[in-house]
Amino acid sequence: MLTIRLVEDELQRLCLTGEASDLHFSKGQEAISVGVCSELRPTDYIVTHHRTISPAIARGFPMNPFMAEILGKATGLNKGLAGEMHIRNPDLRFMFSFQLVGTCASVAAGLAWAVKYYKKEDAIVAVFLGDAATSNAQFHEGMNLAAVRKVPLLVVVEDNHLAGNIRPEFYLPAPIEKRFESFGIHASKADGNKVDEVREAARTCIREVRAGGSPVALILDTTRLSWHKQGQRDIRSQAELDLLAKRDPLLYEEKRLGIDEVTKTKLTKSIEKEIAEAVAYARASPIPKMPRMEA
Amino acid sequence: MTASKSWNPTINRNHLIRDAIGLGIYDCMKADPSIYLFGEGASMKMHFDCPAIEKEFPERIITLPISEDGNTDFAVGASLVGVKPVVDVITSDFLFRTMDGICNTAPKVNFVTETVEEKKTIVIRSENITFGLTTGQRLESLFTHIPGLNVIYPSNPKDARGLMRTALRHPGVTLFFEDRMIADADTRPDDIEDSGKDIPFGKASIVHKGDRLTVVSYALTLQRARKVIEAGVPFDGCELIDLRSLYPLDMGAIRRSVRKTGRLLVIEPDIKHSGIGAEILAEISESSDVKMSAKPHRSGAPMTMIPASHFLHKDLIPTEDKIKKVMQERLN
Repeated sequence: MLTIRLVEDELQRLCLTGEASDLHFSKGQEAISVGVCSELRPTDYIVTHHRTISPAIARGFPMNPFMAEILGKATGLNKGLAGEMHIRNPDLRFMFSFQLVGTCASVAAGLAWAVKYYKKEDAIVAVFLGDAATSNAQFHEGMNLAAVRKVPLLVVVEDNHLAGNIRPEFYLPAPIEKRFESFGIHASKADGNKVDEVREAARTCIREVRAGGSPVALILDTTRLSWHKQGQRDIRSQAELDLLAKRDPLLYEEKRLGIDEVTKTKLTKSIEKEIAEAVAYARASPIPKMPRMEA
Repeated sequence: MTASKSWNPTINRNHLIRDAIGLGIYDCMKADPSIYLFGEGASMKMHFDCPAIEKEFPERIITLPISEDGNTDFAVGASLVGVKPVVDVITSDFLFRTMDGICNTAPKVNFVTETVEEKKTIVIRSENITFGLTTGQRLESLFTHIPGLNVIYPSNPKDARGLMRTALRHPGVTLFFEDRMIADADTRPDDIEDSGKDIPFGKASIVHKGDRLTVVSYALTLQRARKVIEAGVPFDGCELIDLRSLYPLDMGAIRRSVRKTGRLLVIEPDIKHSGIGAEILAEISESSDVKMSAKPHRSGAPMTMIPASHFLHKDLIPTEDKIKKVMQERLN
């Protein structure tokens, strides 16, 4: 979680200097990626929304090519062509990420169908999406397909109570779990800012998906402490953000593990060194070539 | 099989092209266990359209709900682990419902996939018949503007089968159209039997050789132009080019022909405005090595809705009479 936070902090600095394009950060939501990914097997698959930095690091992306990808360099995981929002790393079974809200739901349903019925693997697919995505037709079509086809899919809802800069009163007329219930998909809830609770809840849900071979949802209440996108203003007041910051998953984890300042500083320094090396690697890398485009 | 004389050609069978597409898929399924069919009512459609697939590969027919965009994205998801999907979107108008899957999901997934492994093979099928406001819109030209899509529109069963085999045997996203208004009885016997060969994309077919006028078309209007030219005088000696693939577009074949004839006519069943004919005329006008002896011309459908009254349908897509008229004008 600390690595994710520090990578995003560094990238935010690079956004301000213009070295990175405007990125979507997960500050405050890190416990979800870390908690869920820690319970997945290396043979399981992941599909995500557009806030990919957190799940990618949680899945164990190598830092140098990851940084190069985000900074648009040829040595990036996808040769600098995918960027932050469309990363694909089949080596880690991180299959794709989608900027268009909701697309990940139907794609993940199809992937999970193929994993079970075509590949016949004993693996599941975890899809990460936001509460805002549950208003999108693609979410509904995807959940319908997942349920009717009985596919091994864990739907992780990062419930940050925002659709960009829009509040739930504009998109969520009833609790999210009701939406899953209408497809016969069991949904449970947990505090998404407490990594131990996320792990516990994910473990139970993943066991349920593996045993039943059918979709299960996990709705995790969380706080987006960053802007929707770097460079955009935030609808929330500083007072509201300060209040949300008290739920910062890193504070909770520091307290829970009893990490002292000395240990924290040491850890921070070592991670920052790794990040600095990755940034240097990306800076020294060539710019990508425009690929030959044919249909 | 009898010729269609009705206002509605589907009342008669008109299934030669459809059967050929089914057999093209079947040819590939026999050798490739990763090909699966997805679509609304897929099992019912295969029952009628391709009993061989229904009989031999029933487990590879995946019937999906009426959720076009979800279905395309579902198929793209399956392709990520090696399934080669054929997604049946049925009527062309439903393509609007899954523009996102066809234009945003499938080609972009392939663009990024190509950075780490071979592109995925994804085929999306759809069909045309003029019927009403949202039944039968011709959208093929629209999709030629989207990078990363092959746009294929055969005019006869032989081409349909060979082109479908190409779609399934090569990586890439292919949008494959079927013209249900081409009557079985209007199809040349030579164009029915399978050649056994795959037909490459981006290679037009010279249906008739000639040096007086280059006529470029595809699908229904190709068949109409063919009949006009085959009737002989005064249209003998016209060169007829069947595009078959709207993207990639075989401009080489068109340029070679126009260099010879100096006259160009594009006849399209789609709406003329911003259509494939506009692209072809622009390309020719930009070609420094092509000298025209008459102004190039396009003939296509008007910028209008498809009215419900079938009495009005006959004037929408260039008829044989209309084609004769515009050809005569080009030859004068």
